[in-house]
This record gives sequence, structure tokens and C-alpha cells, in this order.
Amino acid sequence: MNKIELLAPAKDLEKAKIAIMYGADAVYVGGKFYSLRSRASNFELEDLKELSRFAREYGARVFVTVNIVFHDSDYEGIREYLRYLEEIGIDAIIISSLALIPIAREVAPHIECHISTQLSSLNSSAVRTLKEFGADRIVLAREASMRQIEQIARKVSVPLEVFIHGGMCSNYSGRCVLSNRMTLRDANRGGCAHSCRWKYELYDGDDRISDEECLLSMSSKDLRASAYVERMIASGIASLKIEGRMKSEYYIGQVVKTYRNMIDEIYESGKLSAERLAYYDNELSKAENRPSDDGFLSGDCDNTKHLYGINGAGVTHDYVAFVHAFDANRNIALVEVKNIFAKGDELEAFGPKLDNSRFTAEVMFDEQYNLVELANKPTQILLMRVPFPLRKGDMIRKVSGL
Amino acid sequence: MELLVTLRKVQALEKILPYADGIVTGSRFTTGYHLTPAEIAEAVKYCRTKGRKVYIVMDNFISEDEKMLMYDYLDYIDSLEVDGLYFHDLGIYSAARSSHLSSKLIYDGKTVMCNSLDSGFLLNRGIDSIMISRELTLEEVSKILKNHSGKIDMQIFGHLRMSYSKRRFLSNYFRQIKKEYDYIGKESLSLVEEQREYRMPIVEDLNGTYIYTDYIFEMFNEIPDLRKYIKRGVVDTLFIEDENLICQVLRDYRRISAENSGFIRDSFMHNHPGSYSSGYLYQKTNISKNE
Repeated sequence: MNKIELLAPAKDLEKAKIAIMYGADAVYVGGKFYSLRSRASNFELEDLKELSRFAREYGARVFVTVNIVFHDSDYEGIREYLRYLEEIGIDAIIISSLALIPIAREVAPHIECHISTQLSSLNSSAVRTLKEFGADRIVLAREASMRQIEQIARKVSVPLEVFIHGGMCSNYSGRCVLSNRMTLRDANRGGCAHSCRWKYELYDGDDRISDEECLLSMSSKDLRASAYVERMIASGIASLKIEGRMKSEYYIGQVVKTYRNMIDEIYESGKLSAERLAYYDNELSKAENRPSDDGFLSGDCDNTKHLYGINGAGVTHDYVAFVHAFDANRNIALVEVKNIFAKGDELEAFGPKLDNSRFTAEVMFDEQYNLVELANKPTQILLMRVPFPLRKGDMIRKVSGL
Repeated sequence: MELLVTLRKVQALEKILPYADGIVTGSRFTTGYHLTPAEIAEAVKYCRTKGRKVYIVMDNFISEDEKMLMYDYLDYIDSLEVDGLYFHDLGIYSAARSSHLSSKLIYDGKTVMCNSLDSGFLLNRGIDSIMISRELTLEEVSKILKNHSGKIDMQIFGHLRMSYSKRRFLSNYFRQIKKEYDYIGKESLSLVEEQREYRMPIVEDLNGTYIYTDYIFEMFNEIPDLRKYIKRGVVDTLFIEDENLICQVLRDYRRISAENSGFIRDSFMHNHPGSYSSGYLYQKTNISKNE
């Protein structure tokens, strides 16, 4: 039996490398064109090439989102683009336009076609239809419960992908054009303004019936499916997908590492104890900036799974430094400041090959060897003493915020 | 172009049917119409006596748990020998294969059918016709229609569905604010975003919640040029109670021509004042982050 795939998002080359280093089996990224998430940095063609090369070194796969809802003019240049993706070794495209299947077969026959959650596949008949249409993999709708996912997986032969973590559309994906009406931004062509997270008065005829202290919002909590990973593995799902092509390297690193370890432990031990699940949940919460729940996996989404008082995401300041290099002879790390921290702060480092390791910030210098007691300049490079070895790509966070 | 009208009450048949070529209605897996299966049978019978067509709409997604119900319902509407089935869930394409419905399928992806290639892809796989998305410019509509002349359906009047959620936004909201309110299936509720003024109708049923445009979409001026390419034009009556208005729309769409479209449109607006719009026909919605 193939081990389940852990699939991570990335908004740029740097974050894609982080995802792979931290344990993702595959990453999905958007090119400059044809991709939702227009505010993500998105990849230049050369970046995609470099990512493909980097991924192969790690035995990882690269998927490229080509998942806008195409209008006729959007197809311009698509054949050349797909040919290029094939040439540089991209493994799959994630699509919502079914017409791309025969086009990809013709010009990029080695690239798999994965059907985006934009098509909201919610039952085994829909999956069969898409398989018949030539799809190599189907991303199920986030509205399916765990029991329904198990039932679908039993009935179909095409690989299935399921979201396990991250933001949720409050409407069926692809079936919401609130942004189009309210901001003239096409939600299905990368312009989603998250109008579902805004606040609304509710009227019945001319009578306002909403509560002024708590207006209606469609905003949903984020998804956290850690408690279901064991069942997803047992059900034969091919891939577990993390959402978040807009997310930071810290989020990507922490979330990917946590699920990587969880999946590996389940395969090694056969199951996950409640104690270990609690540990992993705590790890995930370190990267969380919005409340989360299990979405539709446990059934219906009632009011407790909505956010009525919060418009957008909060910002976490726990992540304080990124490690660029380590001098093992002197135990000095070269770090880039991400958020404020000070001499005496309790810190925790973690990385692809480093379990959570705590230390106290003590001796720190800037690049001119001036002593630094307060690291408060984002992107500043510092030298700091760390009592254990670090590697490039490790990250450091504050313990106080955990 | 066949001129169709959605039917939400059997009682309305007698009044509106003379002006339409057929009706679009539904029971299960359908937003807003919700006739009982027996009422659908009654409507079919009545339409047959009047030489009119009947189309069923299933514009909801269907969960794995509901599949048996879906099969039963498909069998039922197949037995009624309806003229077509507007479907939203691609599972129906496979599920309807063994029935007479397989040659009567009309895909209505709502927001995701925006181009000629996807339309062609589905038409080449035996789907009878495609209901194209409402978020298209006139130029885009014209191109698709000309590429697939006589194989494309369009919503030509009515509020446009802007969102569809499995979440029950109204139930959840009233629970959150601890307010008891009679709202299920009610069509008089609307949302107003706190920075905006227009009211967007919202309705919740057992399948989820739907939000519609504040305005009524109309294309009086465009139909004269486009009607020869359109297979079926649908007048959607959701949220529109006034049967006189519905009859007038149907009459006007039937008689409208390039010569009289301006007069007909102006007369209609004068006699039935309200918020009307050509939707996205002249309004692109692809503003980028830099604009």
C-alpha cells in the first residue's frame, strides 16, 4: 500500500522549499497566470523550473494550479504553458476547466490532471463522471463528512485528495460570486475579496431583524482535521491537502512538520493515542491565527463553527527568527529577525530535523558585531549563540506565546 | 429559442403557461421551487394538455448519503417523461445514464460554465445543452453562442444566484443571537452589507443557503440579436411574486425585436418599476489587485 501523500501549499519558491524540507511529499503552487489567489506572489516560469529541480532532489512532486474558471480569452497561451510545465517536470496540474484534460493529454501527456475542489465533488457518482472524463485525481468537496469520504473511497478507483487543514470557503467552492457583485473582482479568477467574512444586516421585508451587537457573517472557522488523519489513511485516500497559498513560511513549516510526524507515527504505531493527538493539536495551534474546527468532517456546521465577531485573521508574533546558517565550532546561528524578541526571552527552535528545542536568548550581535539586546528590526540579520546545533531552514519562536 | 418560465406554485400554471413554451420546476435537490413530486406530476399532465414542455431542475449538490434518494427521484422524473433535466451535480451525468434522461441532460454549473471549450467538452459527451454562467459579458456570451449555436441555454430574466452554501447561515445566525424566527423557505429575507445599501435576497432550505443579486437581471435589448442562437431562455421567477409581471415579461420576450426592443423595455420598466440590471453583460469583473 502506498503511503498517503502530504500535500502542502506555497506562495513562492522559498516557501515551497520550506514545505518540502519540512516533510511535504508534494507541493502545489500557482503560476503567474491561470491561478486563483491572485494576491499570492505566484511563480515565474524560472521559479517553477527551480522548484521542480529542488523537489526531485527530495523525491517530492510538484503540482501547479491552473484552476481559474476560464473565460474564452483566458485560454490564450495555455498550450505553450502546459508544454513548458511538462518540459520542466511538473507532475500535475490542478484544474477546474474540464476542457483542459484533452488539451493536456495532447500537449503534455505526462502531466496528471487533478480536478480542483472548485468542482465540488461530493459523491461517488460525481467522482465516476470525472474519472470517465479523464481525471487522474479528484479533490473532494470540503462539505463531505468523514463517513461520506470513507463511503466514496470504497466505491471508486480514482485517487482522492482531501483537505485537512486551513481556510474554508463558507460557500461551495466556485459557486460564490459575491465578490463579483460587491467589488467587481471575479472570485473565480483570483479576485476573491472574502466578502463572506464581512458583516451584514438581515432584513425581513423592510424590518431589520439582525442584532446590532452581532451582525450576520458567513465567515467560517478554519479547518483542522488532525483527529481524522488516522481514518483517512485507513480509508485509502491518496492525498491529504493543506490549504494556504497565502501563508507564511512559519505556518507552512510548522503545519507540514506536525502532519508529517503525525502521519509517520500512525504508519509506525498503527494508531495515534489521545495523548499524542493532543500533542499534535498543540503543535498545530502554534501556527494558528484563526480559530479552527473539524468543519463538515463531523457532520453539519452549526453556529459554533462560524465566526461572528472576527473579520479577518489575527497576526501571530510568536515566530521570531529564521536560521540561515550555523557555525558549529562557535555555536553561533546566523538568523533573520521576523518579529520582536529580546535578550532573556525563552525561545524554541524547530526544523526539518530538529524537534522542539528550548533555549534562552543571550548573546546576540548585529552584522557589525554590535551587541544587541532587543531584536526589533524585521529582516535584520543577527548572530546569536544557541546551545545546540541548528541548520539552515530551522525556525525560532517565543515560548511565552505558546 | 424556447421561452421557459420557472414554476413555483401549481396554481400559477393556468395564468402563466399561455405565454411560455414550457416550465422549469423541481422538487428534490432544487432551490426555491419545491413543488411536491405529486404536484410535479400534476404540472406535467396540465402542460401536456396544453402542448407545453416540462423541464426539471436539480441545482443542488448531492451528498453520498443522498444518492439513493437521488436515484429514486431520477426514476420518478424519468417516469414522467419530462422534456429535460437541468442538473448541477456532475454525479447526475453518471446516475442518469441508464434512463431516458441521459439524452435530456442540460448542465447548469451556475458560476463555472464561462467558455466555449468547457461547453464543447460536455456537449461532446452526450449532454444535450449547456446553461452558461451569468457572470459573462455580452461579447463572451455571443462568442459561446456562436460556437455552439442551438446548444446553449441562458437565464434571461430574474435574480441571479450569487452564492450557494451547505451551511445554514440563517439557522446558525438566529441560534447565535438566540432569536426565534420563522425563516425556512421564506423569500422576504435579505442581506445588506454594512458599507453598502442594496438588499440581496437570501433564502435557506434543507439543502443550504443561497444569496441572490439585489437586482433583477434582464436582457430585453440583447435578445433580438441572440435568440436565434439560444436553445432555451429561462425566466426565473424566484423572489418575484407578481404573476402579472411574469406574464408581461414572457409576452415581451416573445414579441421583442430589434425595432421595438427599446420601446418594450421602457414600457416594461415604467409599468413594473424595480431594480433591473443587465448584470455583467457590459461590466467586466476581472479587476486585478493593481486596479
